[in-house]
Amino acid sequence: MQYEVLCQPSFSLLEVALEPGEKIVAEAGAMAWMEGPVKTETSTRGGALAGLKRAVLSGESFFQNTYSAEGGPAKLGLAPGSAGDIVPYELQGNELFLERGAYLASTEGVRCDSKWEGLKGLFNEGLFILRVTGQGLLFFNGYGDVQEVQVDGQYTVDNGYAVAWEPSLQYRLTRARKIRSFLFADQLLLSFSGTGRIWVQSRSPVSLANWVYPFRPQKSSD
Amino acid sequence: MNVEILERGAFSSALVHLEPGEEFTSESGAMYRASANVDIDVTTRSFGKGGVLGGLKRMLAKESFFLSTYRVNDASPGEVALAPVHVGSVRQIDVVPDTPWICTGGSYLGSGPGLRIDTEFQGLKGLFTGESISFVKVSGSGPLLASAFGRIIEHDVEGELVVDTGHVVAFTEGLDYSISKVGASWIQSWLAGEGIVLRFSGLGKILVQSHNPSEFGGLLGPQLPER
Repeated sequence: MQYEVLCQPSFSLLEVALEPGEKIVAEAGAMAWMEGPVKTETSTRGGALAGLKRAVLSGESFFQNTYSAEGGPAKLGLAPGSAGDIVPYELQGNELFLERGAYLASTEGVRCDSKWEGLKGLFNEGLFILRVTGQGLLFFNGYGDVQEVQVDGQYTVDNGYAVAWEPSLQYRLTRARKIRSFLFADQLLLSFSGTGRIWVQSRSPVSLANWVYPFRPQKSSD
Repeated sequence: MNVEILERGAFSSALVHLEPGEEFTSESGAMYRASANVDIDVTTRSFGKGGVLGGLKRMLAKESFFLSTYRVNDASPGEVALAPVHVGSVRQIDVVPDTPWICTGGSYLGSGPGLRIDTEFQGLKGLFTGESISFVKVSGSGPLLASAFGRIIEHDVEGELVVDTGHVVAFTEGLDYSISKVGASWIQSWLAGEGIVLRFSGLGKILVQSHNPSEFGGLLGPQLPER
């Protein structure tokens, strides 16, 4: 399967060229264009329970679409929900963890599952993250620039900025150290340890939403 | 200390490399990643009078005023990456002692330890719009990081330049400025959708941003449920 990430890095979009018989799975709603004989199958991939888990627990879509080229070559444009970068990652039987909303597309041999994050997830993006396993190509996306950081020892990432990380890394939730920080700043940090890679986005949708909040109309007091 | 501007398309950020013992300050919440040997201390350091209480007052005025200070706590080099909320550029300004800079509150991203940050004077209020603007004065010597909503256009002022308050990123202190209106009267100015503008005169530099965050907020806000 041939692919190209167009319009990198700020407005990235994935273009996939499928040979007859080739397939790509994508998040529902990601399809921007199709060219040639594309067959679309919408399914929960792995059954309703898997779909439900994916949707409710990990913030991805209940249904995933499988696109295949039938009888001739085809092309597909797949777009993430936000402006930013797309990262291709090759899975060779290993695992990768994705934060909510980071999954864009993958080839057929790649499976997505939810992973319980324990109570620390309450304070983080969510109680569950996405565990991606199998063999093939995975594409994930982030808001803003997506930077790959090689960790050897420890590394700190602000809550809400980690997009993906390798399972060889553990993380725990911390706060900035000083007491005053605890009282006044709402900065929760993810402290990663081990050896492996993290992908970090350079903007946060949550921060943007917080920024917009004061612009909302005020309820009239009646 | 070495400040690296990560210019990656529309979403710039800054990566500050710190040697042992060195520190850097930013608007609190700007850090998105850091090496583990960097201590983060959030304070109201040198941020106007009144310490915490004064700070709380400013927070109620919807202005983020907490500063984070990053310091390497061991003998190896460290790094801190800083980013603003919005899509746009980050610019490094090398401040020298005889030319302090003034940043608008929302544009200040971070500064080196040789720079003093004052927010003593702030709160220009538009008569009709309720639009307000706060300033951060940065003096001393060292790197200052300013962020913009969109791209930055640099103007050398010789004579006079009028800039809408929402488009001002930063300017050199040697410039005189006054609050002004665009039209002949305040009412006309308000009707024109240009609440308050700053009229600069003298010799100096101004960084202007291509987009006005308040205008953007004004577009989004009404689409959202009431708060």
